[in-house]
Amino acid sequence: MESNLTNRYIELNMGPQHPSTHGVLRLKLTLDGETVKKVEPVIGYLHRNAEKICELDFYCDALIYFDRMDYVGAMNMELGYLEAAEKLLNIEPPERVKWIRVIMAELNRIASHLVWAGAFGLDLGMLTPFFYVFEEREKILNLFTEITGSRQETNYMSIGGVYQDFNDKIIFKIKEFLSEFPKKLDEVYNLFVKNDIFISRTKNIGILEPEVALSYGVTGPMLRASGIPYDVRKDEPYLVYDKINFTVPISKKKDVLARFIVRFEEMRQSVKIIQQALDKLPDGPFFNPKAKKSLMIRLRGEGDVYARTESTKGEFGVYIVGDGSVKPYRVHVRSPAFKNLSVLPYLSRDVLIADMVAISGSIDLVFGEVDR
Amino acid sequence: MSLLTRIAMILSFLGHYPSYILAYIIETLIVIIFGTVVVAGMVYFFRKYMARVQMRIGPNRVGKFGVLQVMADGLKLIQKESIMPQGRDDLPYKVAPLIIFIALMMGFIFIPYGPLAWLGTLTVTHSDVSLVILFALIAIMPIGELLSGIVSNNKYAVLGSLRGVAKDISFEVPMMLSVLAIVMMASARGVSPLDINGVVQAQNIPFAILEPLGFFVFLISMAARASYSPFDMGESDSELVTGNTTEYSGLRFGMFYLGLFGTIFLGSLILSTLYLGGYNGPFESYLGFIWLLIKTLVVVVISLTIWLSMPRVRIDKFVTFGWKYLLPISFINLVITGFIILGGIS
Repeated sequence: MESNLTNRYIELNMGPQHPSTHGVLRLKLTLDGETVKKVEPVIGYLHRNAEKICELDFYCDALIYFDRMDYVGAMNMELGYLEAAEKLLNIEPPERVKWIRVIMAELNRIASHLVWAGAFGLDLGMLTPFFYVFEEREKILNLFTEITGSRQETNYMSIGGVYQDFNDKIIFKIKEFLSEFPKKLDEVYNLFVKNDIFISRTKNIGILEPEVALSYGVTGPMLRASGIPYDVRKDEPYLVYDKINFTVPISKKKDVLARFIVRFEEMRQSVKIIQQALDKLPDGPFFNPKAKKSLMIRLRGEGDVYARTESTKGEFGVYIVGDGSVKPYRVHVRSPAFKNLSVLPYLSRDVLIADMVAISGSIDLVFGEVDR
Repeated sequence: MSLLTRIAMILSFLGHYPSYILAYIIETLIVIIFGTVVVAGMVYFFRKYMARVQMRIGPNRVGKFGVLQVMADGLKLIQKESIMPQGRDDLPYKVAPLIIFIALMMGFIFIPYGPLAWLGTLTVTHSDVSLVILFALIAIMPIGELLSGIVSNNKYAVLGSLRGVAKDISFEVPMMLSVLAIVMMASARGVSPLDINGVVQAQNIPFAILEPLGFFVFLISMAARASYSPFDMGESDSELVTGNTTEYSGLRFGMFYLGLFGTIFLGSLILSTLYLGGYNGPFESYLGFIWLLIKTLVVVVISLTIWLSMPRVRIDKFVTFGWKYLLPISFINLVITGFIILGGIS
């Protein structure tokens, strides 16, 4: 056994109960003084067996488990599952539903990125912006409450439709929110990027080369901050994203600051998307009659289907195998946050502890999704 | 006539020396109680101010507008069981918070508070070297910080205290150099330069105007001494849990917590005494103490605003900043001070 006196490195355990790790991430650090030599993420503390439980329930019931995966961006999770399930069950949602789903998913994308910005500020020791972004997020959650009845785990979308139609009042409220939001967003943005200390903590930290990012399967804002304009909404449009005019923000800087800027630019694009969707929102039914509530549990699917969507964290893939019964035979989830986390040990070689915290904060981890 | 003399006169039936010694003890107690109360009030003020900045309400349950919240928290901390880690070095572990707390409270004794209404001057000590003693007390506080981290058998605490010491070394030299410039300035005015009361009397023009560079260096040094954000690398809560105070709980934690706010208050007092003219102001023989409090409060609000709006600086960048920027700036300040004295501006 090696003596403690000759051992040059310190082993430090961060988490699963630690103020900086998001959720229940545990990091085993090997330190040389302040320098991080090795990081080993340990996951599984929030494992809830969601994929297996989906096999025990009807197709329509699996939604609530998806809500609880990425609980910060629950709408995008529901959307991801429904893209796959509706393909498998051969149920096409009506036109109006597609637009409503786009609106809700983008609203939730804004909310999720806002939470990320606040938590990232906390990682760097900024207390105040956290409350500013949560104020804006609260407005979105209030909209969700009005539309769906709950704040986070909305369980709003259903197979072939949505549970509640939009009315004029809701549309007016969303428009009202969108008219004020960009100004507030700029305010928060300036609070971060006009601060020299913030810039010094994020610039040229955690540089992720595009080739490395691709080889680790990194997607979402992290990949776009490395300069690769890959966005499922653009490259493989689902719902009605092909009818909407928006750009995919990228950055060539590849560092933590680039990820920050890309996420904020994405929020501005989301505002544009929602505005267009509200203008183009067609009339019509808000669910497919084939998937009425009484018929929903009798839906049978056969074959296998993989669908990918752009969740708030990256490419969210759902693979469903049906054996012709009322329950799925297998459900598998490609979790973007899990894939993005895998690049943390690569990014955190020979950086300071403070930088390691900034890098892990920039990944946008939600542990419900990583552990599932 | 000072408050000390008044108390001594009341006690004069004890004889000359005993009455003065007793009066001295009584006034020291008054100042320490004053310090504690002001610091507790500042915790309340800080929480309310922080809440307003962050669009919250802040404490509003205990007492009217939550004014008794700090007292309730203090009582809770006293009642709590002190959980102590295994494998600690017992004596230093218990002494460390006391070092910080006592050094801080002693610091309050050497501040020239100035006169207030009919009470006379409230200043406790009239030592010829009070400036030296004050900064000696400030220099003692890092020992408590280092000790608490090293003996509490926790890796986070060790890392936190090492960071704290690295930080202390890099700002204390520039701080002392900027104080040296003040001593030069004061001795050019013909007052006893190492007496902090003399420094105040020398400020017909506040030294902040004559020495803006020194003021800047001292403001940053005091912020770093109190170790609030952006200089809270020592107890950076998102990296090292709470650094050197990780393993402390109950009353001992309360001492560290009061120590943080007390250092902000003491630092602001010293800053307004050395650079903003202390108790100087209109009707100073009557309202001197009020002027000092107003100046201190302004500095406190500035400090809290810095605290709430800045992210944490990385430790290596702060050390670089201390040695590469603060130190040369304070040397330049010394040279400029020399020229000011030669030019006879006063």
